[in-house]
Amino acid sequence: MSKIIKCTILDLSTLLRVTYTGITVNQIRSAHNVRPPRIKYPLWHLQRERAKDDQQLTEDNRAFVKEAVHDKFGMPAVIHGISTYEVRSPLKEDSVERKNVEWHPKLKRTGLIARKLGNYPMWSDNGKSMLATLFQVIDNHVIKYIPPGEFDPPRKPYSCPKHKKELGCLLVGAESADPQYYTKQYCGLFYREGMMPKKILGRFLISPEAALQPGTPLLASHFRPGDFIDIRGKTIDRGFQGVMKRHGFHGLPATHGVTKSHRRGGNIGHGGEKGRVFPGTKMPGHMGNRYRIHKGAEILRINHKYNVIWVKGVASPGETNSIVYLHDTILPLRKHKITPPFPTSKEVEDDQLIDSYKEHMYKFTDPTITFEEEK
Amino acid sequence: MNQAEVSQLISKLRIRISPRHKNLKCPEGPQGRLNKLRKTVNALFKYERLELNYTIADETRGYAERLISEAIRHGDTHKPTMEMADYWIEEKQLIHKLFKVLVPRFSDYKTSYTMLYRAPKAYPDIVYPRSVLELRGNPFPSILPQRIDQRNFIHNILLEEAKKAYRAEKYEQITKSLNEQDVVDK
Amino acid sequence: MLLRSLKLHIIQCGFAPVVLQVSRTCSNMPLSDTHQSPDNAVSGKQVKSERKLVVPSNSRFIYPEFLPDPKMEWRNSLREKLERLDMIQRRKHIDIPEFYVGSILAVTSSNQHAPNKATRFVGICIQRLGCGLRANITLRNVIKHVGTEIKYQLYDPTIQKIEVLRLEKRLDDELLYLRDAPNEYSTFDENMEAEYLPEGTPVPVNTTLVKLKPRPWRARWERKNMKGLADLELEERFYKRAEELATPWEKYDLMKQYRRTIPEEEQKEIFAEVCSELHEVEVMRKKLKRKKVFVKPTRSS
Repeated sequence: MSKIIKCTILDLSTLLRVTYTGITVNQIRSAHNVRPPRIKYPLWHLQRERAKDDQQLTEDNRAFVKEAVHDKFGMPAVIHGISTYEVRSPLKEDSVERKNVEWHPKLKRTGLIARKLGNYPMWSDNGKSMLATLFQVIDNHVIKYIPPGEFDPPRKPYSCPKHKKELGCLLVGAESADPQYYTKQYCGLFYREGMMPKKILGRFLISPEAALQPGTPLLASHFRPGDFIDIRGKTIDRGFQGVMKRHGFHGLPATHGVTKSHRRGGNIGHGGEKGRVFPGTKMPGHMGNRYRIHKGAEILRINHKYNVIWVKGVASPGETNSIVYLHDTILPLRKHKITPPFPTSKEVEDDQLIDSYKEHMYKFTDPTITFEEEK
Repeated sequence: MNQAEVSQLISKLRIRISPRHKNLKCPEGPQGRLNKLRKTVNALFKYERLELNYTIADETRGYAERLISEAIRHGDTHKPTMEMADYWIEEKQLIHKLFKVLVPRFSDYKTSYTMLYRAPKAYPDIVYPRSVLELRGNPFPSILPQRIDQRNFIHNILLEEAKKAYRAEKYEQITKSLNEQDVVDK
Repeated sequence: MLLRSLKLHIIQCGFAPVVLQVSRTCSNMPLSDTHQSPDNAVSGKQVKSERKLVVPSNSRFIYPEFLPDPKMEWRNSLREKLERLDMIQRRKHIDIPEFYVGSILAVTSSNQHAPNKATRFVGICIQRLGCGLRANITLRNVIKHVGTEIKYQLYDPTIQKIEVLRLEKRLDDELLYLRDAPNEYSTFDENMEAEYLPEGTPVPVNTTLVKLKPRPWRARWERKNMKGLADLELEERFYKRAEELATPWEKYDLMKQYRRTIPEEEQKEIFAEVCSELHEVEVMRKKLKRKKVFVKPTRSS
């Protein structure tokens, strides 16, 4: 009878395995009508959600399925303030060979997947207030590492058709979910790593030295207070907007004989030889709902209990409760000066260390700020 | 709006509320919108089950829920509640129904007081999504079809057997590990 | 029948009261996770203390800034919790007393450019805005015949002391019309002594009616339906226009009220957490005070 269980629900080992054979095609531009290469989707681009049909299970059987899933993968637990599942040690032997390399500025570490929580003010220790945006790193685990030779992204950057840097790809997942609600294919991505399927997947290009073992948890301590990060997210969808809101134009005067064009853009082109509208002219159109990067944002504070990161400023894209991706910044002057946790930080069980602040920030546990008289 | 209003306390509704209201296309503006909703709220208390466009049904639901929860919270001796019922219910005998029939019916409820179902569209006549709004505990037969006994379905029988086998295996392992421990202790 | 013929889907049966407030369909699932975590942490703490603290029913008037912004798109339970924790931490270092719009306050704050590195400002509280760490008040006074207003962030770490000199309420929730009133309505002595109000007495309501200066004003006060204003002595057309623009149906808009408030159940949760923490702080403060009195037994009255 145990066979039946395996056939019906639990045996996920007969899942679809996509073996990946990278084919390199040297494109020769002979004719002008060369068709662009077909986009090959990455191997994790699978159908996720199962059809939502009513399975008509009895209460007992539903409880049994749940029990079996929890026995296999881990019991539900609240870890770092997020309800997830206790992940057992995922892989017994290292599938990624570990290179003990010292960090140097040219190496690229992985990023994190986070949720934007909102913003509130913080103060520096000279009493200056600044708004900070909160990001929670939501139950991140490494799912897969694809080495540089095998990794062939569907769209290559325009600037460098051949990758100058040899970069591998790290697949990171966030927020565990019940496998009953996902397709068998999709669950198969996580099965070998012994993890519940993740709701969100993210791809990070990393140097091979920074590769991580699948199943490694990623924490907020991957960054430190004082670091600068790039935040990538989808901006708020504002719909079709005029030039005043979309591009910050001034509009035309409210009075002095102006009629029916108080919020219009005015002139958009020239006459004569240049008698056309130049491409890229700022005009009304759809605003928001695209991926944008806020570069070089400074980390002010990190809460290790809930894995929350406070970032200076409120310019990061996305609305509250949306998903963002956090990377080390690419701005040359704001890169790490001292060695960051490489390839990532380790989990430290320390009840005392809940908050760590950037230098010269006012800690809320500190007494009131007072200034001393100069002599 | 950057802070909550504290002048009055309101019970939590047990339905999902959308962050923004819907305008309902009214030439008379917000007042006309309320007048539209008043009719449906009145009809809901009268007939207990309505078939409506989804948008207006969803809006009506919130107002009906609030009215019932206020009536349960304050009773019929509370002046503002009575004033509110007077505004929202046009047929005055229904005010008696609210306080004397619906309040006793719903006072022990732990769930919402109304139900909203998605109704089929009669293509091509009606293009807007339709829905059915009803008060719980109404005298009509249930909208949802009665469920057949699921226990005799093949997958349920198979799972039932699988459960027995799985449990047996599990207990066996536990006893085995306990025995091993005893041996080690001795 | 249309109803009976086809399959109907249940839209919402209302079984999940926890997740209801945050309502974007896409963000509902992950949010429910974050909801659980702080609750668990809170319940763990309550079990530890084992003492049932009675939460005063007027907490929402005393600590309005602990209630989050009711705008649903901006709500997140973890952010609200972290913000509350920070606020309580700050309140351990500064006593933010009970006060209302219309009370007379004295705020002492650190100032690098002042002679003693601190400034004290006395004035009437004309506005109280914001929630969480952004909560702020506006104080107004007339100093050397010049109307002066200062906006203070309540949780600003440079604020050293907040004293309530006279605890009272006015008829309105905002006294911005004092800007258009003669100076004597908002003139207060800087060396005013604190007035003692015996414990347990209700907060007195000051029912003075303010007589405004003739127009022009900062706002059209005849349209704002203010209770604390004396007769405005305007022409008939002003009142006519105000009547045209009035929105008397708004008080019947039940859902508009609902979207502007935090429901009672959530308020109870918040204040149970906050009051237990603040109670400890208060007990500590009283102990310290007694010690001080013992060392230096002087009475001011």
